Amino acid sequence: MTAALIEIEDLWYSHPVRGGEAIPALKGINLRIEEGEYVALIGANGSGKTTLARHLNALLLPDRGVVRIHGMDTREARFHPQIRSLVGMVFQSPEDQLVAAILEEDVAFGPENLGLPPAEIRQRVEDALEITGLKEYRQRPPHLLSAGQMQRAALAGVLAMRPRCVIFDETTAMLDPAGRHMVRRLMRRLHEEGLTVIVISHFMREAVAAQRVIVLNKGEIALDSTPQQVFSHPADLWALGLDLPLAGRLAIQLREVLPDLPPNLLRSNDLIAALPPPPFPVKAGGGSEPDRPVLPPNGFIRVDRLGHTYLADTPLAYQALEEVRLHAGEGKVHGLIGSTGSGKSTLLQHLNGLLLPQKGTVAVGPFDLNDPTTDLKAVRQFAGLVFQNPDYQLFEQYVGDEIAYAPRLKGEHDSLRETVRMAMEMVGLDFESFKDRLTFTLSGGERRKVALASLIAMRPRVLLLDEPTAGLDPRSRSETLRSLENLRQQGLTLVLSSHHMEDIAELSSSLTVLHRGRTLLDGAAEEVYSNVSLLEEHGLEAPLVTRAAARLRELGWDIPRCILRIGDLIEHLRRNLEAPHA
Amino acid sequence: MHNFEFLRMVNIGQYLPLNSLLHRLDARARIILYLVILMAATFTAQPAGLFLALLIVLVLLRIGRIPLNFALRGLLPPLPFLLILAVLQVFVSIRPPSALPLFEFGILKIYASGLVSAGMLLLRFCVLILTLSLSSFTLSTSEMIHGLESLLSPFSRLGLPTHDLVMVLQVTIRFIPFLAMAAERIAKAQASRGAEWGVRKGNIFQRVRQVIPLIVPLFLTSLRRAETMALAMDARAYGSTPQRTSMYTMQFQFKDAVAIIFGAVSATAILILGI
Repeated sequence: MTAALIEIEDLWYSHPVRGGEAIPALKGINLRIEEGEYVALIGANGSGKTTLARHLNALLLPDRGVVRIHGMDTREARFHPQIRSLVGMVFQSPEDQLVAAILEEDVAFGPENLGLPPAEIRQRVEDALEITGLKEYRQRPPHLLSAGQMQRAALAGVLAMRPRCVIFDETTAMLDPAGRHMVRRLMRRLHEEGLTVIVISHFMREAVAAQRVIVLNKGEIALDSTPQQVFSHPADLWALGLDLPLAGRLAIQLREVLPDLPPNLLRSNDLIAALPPPPFPVKAGGGSEPDRPVLPPNGFIRVDRLGHTYLADTPLAYQALEEVRLHAGEGKVHGLIGSTGSGKSTLLQHLNGLLLPQKGTVAVGPFDLNDPTTDLKAVRQFAGLVFQNPDYQLFEQYVGDEIAYAPRLKGEHDSLRETVRMAMEMVGLDFESFKDRLTFTLSGGERRKVALASLIAMRPRVLLLDEPTAGLDPRSRSETLRSLENLRQQGLTLVLSSHHMEDIAELSSSLTVLHRGRTLLDGAAEEVYSNVSLLEEHGLEAPLVTRAAARLRELGWDIPRCILRIGDLIEHLRRNLEAPHA
Repeated sequence: MHNFEFLRMVNIGQYLPLNSLLHRLDARARIILYLVILMAATFTAQPAGLFLALLIVLVLLRIGRIPLNFALRGLLPPLPFLLILAVLQVFVSIRPPSALPLFEFGILKIYASGLVSAGMLLLRFCVLILTLSLSSFTLSTSEMIHGLESLLSPFSRLGLPTHDLVMVLQVTIRFIPFLAMAAERIAKAQASRGAEWGVRKGNIFQRVRQVIPLIVPLFLTSLRRAETMALAMDARAYGSTPQRTSMYTMQFQFKDAVAIIFGAVSATAILILGI
């Protein structure tokens, strides 16, 4: 029998903890992956996916059991150069994996480590840059690349080692839809060229694209089968901290009213294609109420003709915002949508006075940011900003102190404990069990919650959130969205930025769409989403529900022009079916 | 308001890709050329030597097609400090015991030798700063790294880990823009929670105090990043073969030899004039 590409026998591994008991991360894994397979590795945060992946190219070595790559035992150091060139790995955070001062040298880094002759290295670098489409950026320093380009650069660096297997460890988590799409296409292409592709992801649609799905739960393999099989038991998935892909979820809900919809629809395009025409002609206006008049937001937050240039008057100056408009209503959720580099973060930072308008006007509640006498500290307390990466926001050792930071600065003493408790409960963290935890031992989702709670403790009237759901597993994501909805019900005004429409469509009543620093659309959510073609022209996708609704309308169902929530769509379909026949 | 633009303060590695004769020289030749001029300008003892050095640097800037006013602008930020140093130099310089003061204001006596040494100090720093800017404008970080690696390679035969040292330098350079950006983000996160960052007031002491809470998260994030980067380097087989190679092959040509000879001759002239 020939050796499989990857063979794992009874693998056990514990993360060493200084002075404490080791935490078991992998418990008796048995696995065999052949040449040319396309495998998705999924599981909740902390299920051991990354730990397992790092055993595959000898970054971690088993405590017990054996890992063999092409028959080579990873515990023998003399095989490491071969193993590492056979199995390449692309990591999650784009900028941390690029070593050299310019892109092309970074791609050469691996082959140089293998001690190849210069001409061979040059050839491999050319090939890798070609495949990843980065030829024109070869002389750029890494910090001037976009996140998507950095991930492609990291992949190029791996490909230059001519691997037989590439592991993508949540490579798409930090990317916008366009960057993600590009990387997914590369994954498919590598698979078609005969490489083994292993994808670790929180995006269920990436798992659906694979041939084989392995589900990890608490260090053990819970499921190992085809995507069709794995995704046929939604309840089990939910228990494992996972979820169906969006198309699958929507299909299940639609099947309640459209029982003829085929089972196991997992891809958006399959779902849209499978939608049926109405069983009988439906009279327009028969079932649905007339389109409601859409009210513009009342302008609690008003941004008009805003312009901002970074590093003005230097050779590196670049214009981040130009003629931007945003109007958001009090007590509402406002969505801010756009791809990476469209200016979302820059705009959010104007809303709490971290940046002041260079051009145009900004007003937030009672504060006029153009007035030089405005008390900026008061503005920042009024409108709290939660950044995307919690690493930059947590600076105290203990969770309790972290959340108490802002109220303490304000001079709160007696009520401090209550404030902290209130803030933690708002985001769903248990006060007693979390207040004395060390912040750096928390999981990604928990760190986000602490960051959010530490702002809520300031009792702001407005919360500004930069990409609140990026990089979270499906369960943490829906928990986060639920606590945001909760905050809105408490009367807060929320402004959320995201590069997914899906994420915030359910919550937001008004939206601003940014494209390259300009406002593309701004207004009530229904109005914005009804411009499907304009959105698609700019590389943005309307939510799947909206697209499904549009398709059903085309097929002859009587459905209003723009639907944002699954519940509304089902309600309309039901009314259609119950309406007296024409 | 630029309070949060920390990247603005970082000026290292401002490379100008101008493709001049100087830019086309072998990186090693450029490194040696700049080094000998720097050394000569540091050690020459007379104004004549310094003037020659200034002339040579201006000529090199011209050959490198660097706009002169752009290069000279680099002298402005350190100028106040240099002036203070020069003023001190006027009073503390060593003079022959027989020298008579040129001017006398009460107890302050100004000697001709003091003025000369103050002028020399200013001139010397100008030459040094211009030479350093010249090397930054014409030598990209990657060229510098490969040049150094090649120049240091004889030492690796003596058992010095030159590859690793150069890698340390390279990673350090990679981290500079990151540190500036991370500091900026942390400051913003703290300001959002009521810290006194970027508010339109605050004296110098308050500003210094603000920096302290920045340091802990900056260290933590840097360490975490360093860890990931080390992992990524490991994953790409760093250190798994003793003989690392390089994609670049450097060719030492006639013009490079000329450049080094030019450097050696100018340095000697600067030093001889300075005796």
